[in-house]
Amino acid sequence: MRGWSSMVCALVVCGAIAGCGTGGRGEAATAAADAFTSALREGDGAAACAALAPETAEDLAASEGESCEEAIGSLDLPDAAVGEIAVWSDRAQMRTADDVLFLAEFGDGWKVVAAGCRPQGERPYECEVGS
Amino acid sequence: MRRALRDNGLSIGFGLLFLAALVGQAFAGQAAYNDRQLADAGASISLAQYVTSSDFAVDVAENWQSEYLQFFLYVFATVWLVQRGSPESKLVEETGTESDKKQKVGRHATANSPEWARAGGWRTTVFSRSLGAVMGLLFGLSWLAQSIAGRAAYNAERLAQLQDPLTWLGYAGSADFWNRTLQNWQSEFLAMGSIVVISIYLRQRGSPESKPVGEPHDTTETSG
Repeated sequence: MRGWSSMVCALVVCGAIAGCGTGGRGEAATAAADAFTSALREGDGAAACAALAPETAEDLAASEGESCEEAIGSLDLPDAAVGEIAVWSDRAQMRTADDVLFLAEFGDGWKVVAAGCRPQGERPYECEVGS
Repeated sequence: MRRALRDNGLSIGFGLLFLAALVGQAFAGQAAYNDRQLADAGASISLAQYVTSSDFAVDVAENWQSEYLQFFLYVFATVWLVQRGSPESKLVEETGTESDKKQKVGRHATANSPEWARAGGWRTTVFSRSLGAVMGLLFGLSWLAQSIAGRAAYNAERLAQLQDPLTWLGYAGSADFWNRTLQNWQSEFLAMGSIVVISIYLRQRGSPESKPVGEPHDTTETSG
C-alpha cells in the first residue's frame, strides 16, 4: 500500500510540475519573442524571418509571392514589447500591447509560429502571419 | 524464496503486469504524441521527455483515478447493497456494518486481531474504515493529478490551435476533463456490475471470485 501511495504522490508532484513550471523555458520563449519584435521595430526582415518557425516563414513567402524578408516588412505587424507570457509544454503565448504571438519549441529553440493575432471570441485567434 | 513468491503471487504477478503495461504505454504514447507533433508542426520528443510530460501523466492518472474510485465505491457500496446469488455480495440479511462480535472488534477481538481492532475508541473507528478511506484518498489524489496534468496537456493543445489557455477551474469544468473522467468511470461501473451479475450464473473452478462449480445459483457469499 505504501508503494502505491508513493506512486500516486509522485504523480501528483509530476503533474504539478508539468502544470505549473515555466522557469527557464519561459525565459527562452520570451527571448525568442523579443528577438522577433525587436527585428520588426528595426525593420530587419532577415532577423524577423529567422525568428519565425520554418513552416510559418515558408507559408508567408508562398502566400505573398515574394521572399519572407520582403513580405514581412510589407505587413506592418505590431512590434510592441512582449508583456504577459503563458508557457505550456512546448507551446507559448505572448501578449504585447497590440497583439498576441504564438510560439513553439523546436530542436534549435523557440520560434514564432503565429504573429499579429487578434481574438475571435471562442474561436482560434486570427493571425496576420501563421494562421 | 520460492515460498515467498508463492505466498505473494497475486501481488507480485499484478505488480509485474502493471510495470510491463506502463512501459508499453510509454512507448506507444510517445509514438502517438510524435505523430500529433508532425501534424501540428511541433518537434518530436524522446522517451525520457515523454514520460515526464503532462501528456503521459494525464493518460496514466485518468485511469488510476477510475480504478481507485471503483474499489472505493465497491468497498463502501457492498456494506449496504447486496446481490442475492452473487459470490461478490454478503448475505442479504447482513446489510450494514454488522455487530462488533461478527467484526471481532473491542472485547470481541481475538489474540491475533490487529492492535487497532482491539484498542477500541477512535483507533478502532478509524481502522474499521481504513480500507475504504485509503481507496478514497488514492482516488482523490489521482483525480487531482489528472486535473493538473490534464490542464497542462490541454493548454499545450489549445496554444497549438491558437486558442487561449484555461485556468485550473476552467479546465475542471471543461468538456475535455469530463470526457476523460466519465469515459473511464462508465467502464469501471460496467465491469463491476457485470462481475456481480454474471458470477450468479457462471463459475470459474478454483477462483475465489466464483462460487464452487456445483453451488446453486441462489447461494450468496460463497467462494471456491
